[in-house]
Amino acid sequence: MRVTVDVKGEDSRELELADVPTDAPEPTYADLLREVGLSPHEVSVLVDGRPVPEDQPVESERVTVLRLIKGG
Amino acid sequence: MLALPKAVRAEIVERARGGRPLEICGVLGGEYDPTGRSEVGSQYPAENVAEHPRTRYRIDPEEQLAIFDRLEARDEEIVGFYHSHPRGPPRPSETDAADATWSDRSYVIVSLEPFEVGSWRWREDDGFEREDVAVE
Repeated sequence: MRVTVDVKGEDSRELELADVPTDAPEPTYADLLREVGLSPHEVSVLVDGRPVPEDQPVESERVTVLRLIKGG
Repeated sequence: MLALPKAVRAEIVERARGGRPLEICGVLGGEYDPTGRSEVGSQYPAENVAEHPRTRYRIDPEEQLAIFDRLEARDEEIVGFYHSHPRGPPRPSETDAADATWSDRSYVIVSLEPFEVGSWRWREDDGFEREDVAVE
């Protein structure tokens, strides 16, 4: 499955899910993030406009990644 | 440099004063230039969902996405973000530096005590870099 990773404010990336390295049985959203050079600590992952846990296996062909907006 | 319309500056200062003692936050849309002059066209208020909103701010990802969709529908780009420091400092805090993730975007800070509105670009290698704000 090809997955489009739309990092908001940056370019979209297309990845072949089977090529994404993983230690889990199937690539997770965290694996997807690592592949595009991002850390789960700095972003949220959304599918269909809803946040998804980063440790879940990727099941969607389109993933939105948002860098966090926070501070003090 | 950040070009900030007088009306937008007034709106975010008013929000900051109205939200006291809590921090307020939002997104700035317009024309984005990573190293040159970014021009703010609009500000998009967001709810501060931080656990300790007197000293922290956080925008919920779902609201963030909804704001980005509105901004893109108006052919605007993500210029940066704003938040308030009800009791200062008039510059990014250590928490701001620790939590910044948007390289080259503008982070506008409205400090109420002392009163000052300033802007900083987050540079991945050098941290926050102060930029001039042209109120137009």
